[in-house]
Amino acid sequence: MMAMVGKILYWKGCMSRLKMKSIADSTEALLGLLGVDYDTLGGEEGCCGSVLLRTGQYDAARSLAILNADRISSLGYSELVTSCPGCFKTMSSEYPMIIGRAPFRVMHISQFLYGRRAAMEGCLHPIRARVVYHDPCHLGRHMGVYDEPRALIRMVPGADLVEFKYNRSKALCCGAGGGVRSAFPEIAVEVARGITGAPLREAGASIIITSCPFCNYNLKEAGGAEVIDLPEFLLRSWRGS
Amino acid sequence: MNDEPRDPKSKEFSEWMGDQRRRLGIDRAVAAYTAAKEAALKRLPEMEEMRKEVRRIKEESISRMGELARQAMDSIADVKGTPYLAGDAAEARRIFCSIVGTGKLVVKSKSLTSEEIHLNGALEAAGNDVYETDLGEFIIQLRKEKPTHIINPSVHVPREEVAQTFSKLLGREVSSDIPSLVGVAREFLRDKFCKADVGITGANVVSAKTGTLFIIENEGNARFVSNAPPVHIAITGIEKVVPTLSDAFKVVQTLPPYATGVLISAYVSLVTGPSKTADIEKTIVYGAHGPKELHVVLLDNGRSEMAKDPILREALYCLRCGGCLYECPVYRIVGGSFGDNYFGGIGMVWSAFTRGDEAVAVAIDACTKCGRCKEVCPLEIDVPKMVERLKGKLVRKGHLSRKHAEIRENIERKGNPFGQSERRQ
Repeated sequence: MMAMVGKILYWKGCMSRLKMKSIADSTEALLGLLGVDYDTLGGEEGCCGSVLLRTGQYDAARSLAILNADRISSLGYSELVTSCPGCFKTMSSEYPMIIGRAPFRVMHISQFLYGRRAAMEGCLHPIRARVVYHDPCHLGRHMGVYDEPRALIRMVPGADLVEFKYNRSKALCCGAGGGVRSAFPEIAVEVARGITGAPLREAGASIIITSCPFCNYNLKEAGGAEVIDLPEFLLRSWRGS
Repeated sequence: MNDEPRDPKSKEFSEWMGDQRRRLGIDRAVAAYTAAKEAALKRLPEMEEMRKEVRRIKEESISRMGELARQAMDSIADVKGTPYLAGDAAEARRIFCSIVGTGKLVVKSKSLTSEEIHLNGALEAAGNDVYETDLGEFIIQLRKEKPTHIINPSVHVPREEVAQTFSKLLGREVSSDIPSLVGVAREFLRDKFCKADVGITGANVVSAKTGTLFIIENEGNARFVSNAPPVHIAITGIEKVVPTLSDAFKVVQTLPPYATGVLISAYVSLVTGPSKTADIEKTIVYGAHGPKELHVVLLDNGRSEMAKDPILREALYCLRCGGCLYECPVYRIVGGSFGDNYFGGIGMVWSAFTRGDEAVAVAIDACTKCGRCKEVCPLEIDVPKMVERLKGKLVRKGHLSRKHAEIRENIERKGNPFGQSERRQ
């Protein structure tokens, strides 16, 4: 894995890599269509440490942060793109505090794609559906990324983007984060039903678009709605199927 | 998901989640609260500046917490009140029991701080009759249940069940019509107010310079409790003391819109010393129409410890409006089981310091750290950051769930939280 200076590392994150592979596959396909020169670390990627930080296991998280920062920097990558808002938040805002410097630039896939949106102009086919965007806590409330995903969804012809009553900084949590899904799965899924129930009916959308594999997984568990990741949605539009 | 619950807290969570009656009660309360708060804040554009000012007041007050508590005690003594500083819950109970004695009729208005020290049990064990007079607390007391919300303790009890409880109390059938239910409580408790030997209240804020207690309420019961009996005892945490009267008034203006969606509560009582008169020959006599004695118990019980932690000290800024609970996605589902006396994310910090780590060791794992509480808090208290900090401290003391320990082991062995082998790729 000899990295070129300036080459981008697509950091899939554990959920997209192992549990929600269609998110990583769609993201890679989309990056390919956009002609982005990128690498992944494949089976060597490892863990960003987010789940350890959220569950109070600071020392183990610190070791991972140091290990990852050294490993990624020594491979020559200075720019990371993540699918998971948890990886994004941890690596961009918490690594610098843990190791005392920002080892590399980290972008969430929504920010990265927004920066390359010109390349998508004219390539997207209509998806005639009323869609609603679910703000993941780690991406929205914690990192302030609200507009890029919405701008990308609006690029898809025919897609009618509506909003939940509580959105952006007041968005309801899907219930999966913070280690709740592993400690109390029944609470996590019940919290998700608090989105796929009445709020979704009120929004009147048939598809929930989100940009977090944890939200995606948990909202699907709750049932009652089609849930799709942002790059999956864009890829579907690009391919016209 | 059909596993037997592993511990009492998980069982409590399951019971709450499965109880459609209580869930409905909370859902209705959430809808009513959020609508009222939005309407109130629309009419109070000045609140944006006010809440920032209150945050500055609390930051200053907590940085001088011990000093302000001592100043408040001096001021209370100056106006012939009797101040006490209780180091912990046991000391506070001893103070109360020595003032109240035995065989007394005691009326109380709502005080979370009194619940914190399990005051009612101690007074009853000493041979006193204790009546909660806040309607919600009264219902909870009769039903021998635990409060489930800091502002609205009986939020989970629908009217039909209140009627059953009151029917049992009076030994006759009581209608479940809500105004009639309120009438029953009014009639029953009026007699207690007038006959009580001791009245116990909390205090929402205290001005150090004047020793003034501010008691905020809507029902009017706290006025009775603090005024009718010959002895008034107030209990409040040392974090409730602010430097001046004008600081206290700012807190008073900020609390009600966020607590219940009103511009200001029906009653704000200001109490500075016991009742007195000098109408005969300018000679001061205490206990004119109000209480002859005022005792003020300032409670530490972990608060000084909390103030020492650079992150967790922010919990001491909490005004106890309870707004974060209504907005918490987990509280909506597990309600009163999400904490111990103090609920939700910030309640984890409060419960840990005032009741010990055991009180939150399991429940803290139900917090998603989503941060909605911070977003709706008038003081923007960073609850997720505090919960993570507290969780880290608990883990270092050995409170780590088996699932979370497994995740760490999986990451260390396999490089992912699920323990899957993937290096062959």
